[in-house]
Amino acid sequence: MKELHHISSQAVLETLIERYFNGDTTLEEECELRWALSHCPWESETIDDARVVMGYFAAHRHYKRHQAANPLRRRMMGIAASIAVILTIGGYVLWHQSQPADQCIAYVNGVTINDDEEVMALIENDLSNMDNAAQGMASQLSSLGEALETEND
Amino acid sequence: MKRITLIILTCLFASMAAMAQNGLNINRLFDGRYKKAAGATEIIVTGSQAREYGLTVYHSVTVTDKTQAEIIENLVVKDGSQAVDKEVEYRNGQLYYGFYTMPRQKRTNRYIFFLNQNLARKSPKNVVTLIYMEGEASAAKIKKLIRK
Repeated sequence: MKELHHISSQAVLETLIERYFNGDTTLEEECELRWALSHCPWESETIDDARVVMGYFAAHRHYKRHQAANPLRRRMMGIAASIAVILTIGGYVLWHQSQPADQCIAYVNGVTINDDEEVMALIENDLSNMDNAAQGMASQLSSLGEALETEND
Repeated sequence: MKRITLIILTCLFASMAAMAQNGLNINRLFDGRYKKAAGATEIIVTGSQAREYGLTVYHSVTVTDKTQAEIIENLVVKDGSQAVDKEVEYRNGQLYYGFYTMPRQKRTNRYIFFLNQNLARKSPKNVVTLIYMEGEASAAKIKKLIRK
């Protein structure tokens, strides 16, 4: 019996398909074509049409799925998916924790003040005191600068 | 698979614990001890009110008790040693005024203000104020804020 399965390229396969549809193929070539359509990885409109017509489409998909179902690959994909889920949940939890809730409250001599305006007035007083101190330092530096300039003159 | 999940979870919880605290010594002053104390004022502003100033947290403590004032000063000086930028003024060997820019954390700027009004030249008062601010506001914006 003649040795089959010598379709070496997509072009050779497509030529064979064309010949098949023109009714120019021998029985041996048709056997070879059937085998190639169910086992080769090539895809094109001509090849897919031939698979549909010759009933090998499902067989080819099964073959491809079988190829993809590598256990190690599936395991790695599972691990990657688990990591992605954990990181997403973790990221959300961290983000949520880092967002402080709305609060505007003061405790003065043990008395709680919830009024926003009163609290803001207390803050302004604190900041004003800080500003006075900062200005004092700035004016000291300015006086020092002036004194140095006078001495240099 | 189980081992990998365990390692990931451990790393995740460790990083959560590390991020939950901002690593400042003055943090221990914000444990609520001044909320009921006589002669003390504690202010906490977070959320929308703070955001108006480019902040996420405004937390201050004002005390009149000298012992507490010393504790606050010591903790501020400790944190101040880690500051990336500072403006300080000492009087009679004591910290009078301090503005510290602390290292950024979680892409957030952190600032500490300290003022001991007992050392003021004009009308000294037995009052020590500590302010902690956190947010996206720059140091320049914070300075503008106190000059309002």
